Amino acid sequence: MDTLVKSINDNILQGQHKIVEVKTQEALNSGIAPKVILDEGMIAAMAEVGRLFEIGEYFVPEMMVAARAMKAGLALLKPQLVKANVKSLGKVGIGTVQGDLHDIGKNLVGIMLEGAGYEILDLGTDVSPEKFVEAVKTDKVDALALSALLTTTMPNMISTIAALEQAGMRKQVKVMIGGAPITEEYARQIGADGYAPDASRAVTLAKILIPAV
Amino acid sequence: MTIAPCRPKWAGTMTDRDRFNRQMHYQPVDRSFNMEFGYWEENYKQWPMFVKNGITNELEANHYFSFDRIWTISGNVWLYPSFANQIVEERATTTVIMNEDGVLAEVPKDRHDTIPHFLKPTVVTPADWQRVKAERLQRNDPARKMDIEALKFFDPVDRDFPLGIWCGSMIGKIRDMLTFEGLAYAIYDYPEMIEDMVETACVLVEDSLDQLLPHFKLDFAAGWEDICYKGGPIVSPRFFREIVMPRYKRISRKLHAAGVDIWYMDCDGDVRPILPAMMEGGVNCLFPFEVNGCSHPSELLDEYGKDLRIMGGVDKIELGKGREAIKAYLQTLIPLVERGGYIPFCDHRCPPNVDPDDYLYYLDLKEELYGMKR
Repeated sequence: MDTLVKSINDNILQGQHKIVEVKTQEALNSGIAPKVILDEGMIAAMAEVGRLFEIGEYFVPEMMVAARAMKAGLALLKPQLVKANVKSLGKVGIGTVQGDLHDIGKNLVGIMLEGAGYEILDLGTDVSPEKFVEAVKTDKVDALALSALLTTTMPNMISTIAALEQAGMRKQVKVMIGGAPITEEYARQIGADGYAPDASRAVTLAKILIPAV
Repeated sequence: MTIAPCRPKWAGTMTDRDRFNRQMHYQPVDRSFNMEFGYWEENYKQWPMFVKNGITNELEANHYFSFDRIWTISGNVWLYPSFANQIVEERATTTVIMNEDGVLAEVPKDRHDTIPHFLKPTVVTPADWQRVKAERLQRNDPARKMDIEALKFFDPVDRDFPLGIWCGSMIGKIRDMLTFEGLAYAIYDYPEMIEDMVETACVLVEDSLDQLLPHFKLDFAAGWEDICYKGGPIVSPRFFREIVMPRYKRISRKLHAAGVDIWYMDCDGDVRPILPAMMEGGVNCLFPFEVNGCSHPSELLDEYGKDLRIMGGVDKIELGKGREAIKAYLQTLIPLVERGGYIPFCDHRCPPNVDPDDYLYYLDLKEELYGMKR
């Protein structure tokens, strides 16, 4: 691995966003292909963050500062990726279901999916079933990621899946769910395609659900 | 409206105070301490038994169900004055407020229970912190001097219920000012500021304990952090051990010197990664112990033995599934109640999706399984 790319990777793992920004610019200036910087510097680092989270060495704060560092570099990289016609792994529409304003879990999942190479359409909080359907229709998302914090808003995941079915769009999109009261069993009960207990495993689930381009 | 209890108090041969202390110290008891941890705001508007009987808050509900009595006294251990709660902006379905911590947050217009969408923290930089500290966290503010005589009301000579002392929060209230994301970044960006915030929280609690402990014979201490979620703590265990735990130790020393040897910590979510440091700091009881976010209470009581107690641990998800599920779950708790060091109640405020008739069934079954009806 190129020294600059390795430095980007290392500094993402250490949450050093200012250094990542500088090193990404240096890497671009030195002519390293944007896709190499993305794949080996950023996506590989975030995959390692996910691994460390899953084995209990990293916790949410480490994940967040690593993601902040990755985003600092990605902001510089994105225009170059567009120029080079580098495709994302897929597009995920993400939102907290209707009735729920909480967004921390949703944001973490979005950050980790973006860090894994997915394009994120953030639908926000308190998202109605109709708005989720619209994201499938208009924005052609490959998957919807639904978050719920409250036992009282969990049923709005059912309403969202029902709205997708009613609109004839259910087969066009994968539905993944998560949140404090959500379980694997609940995902099965309501006909979701999958459940992820945390942001790292949301990436693993997305890789299973969304076929590689 | 006078509220008439819907159930008599569970039969017993001990006072609530003796029962609580004996149960928390693994000694034989007449029956389990009978308490719950309150309800969502919606329950007071939706449950017919609450609406019909004019029950609008936890105190009234506790009286209605004839629960055992438990109380906590508190000094003024954080922001003074707190920020004025005010509406900043009205939006279509939400209202933007500034809360008492000074944070801008979006809440639903109908005020249904949810965690708000936080928009702007009170403190981001060390300069913000210095301003808040100077304006609202002065140790020598006259408002921090406790009116001991007034508090004596809660501690009559013949007191028959457990009385606790509030030990505040070392990091949870800081998170409330910085927001979840803000705290994660500040630990990296401004570590000295964060340590000064924790130290400030600690000295304010110490000052309060110094004023109160000499005047009361207390049964327990209570704290609050809420710094964990289903995926673990929102601060790293290393940060918790290095920065927070030493302050817990200082508080614990004062409590023990005054004969208070039970300290429960209110912390939702998966506390397991920080539990060893929490216990090393002197906390020895978890409350309200969220099952879905952490584990069945037996798992931790088995792991930590009699060094740990748990209050709560009745899975609210199971309460919402109906009577069969409630019965099956409560039966799993029988060995824990018999073992001691465990008081069963719903693992957070009871949510409104629980059928009120099922809730009454739950209370009656608790009495049957853990009371003197056995």
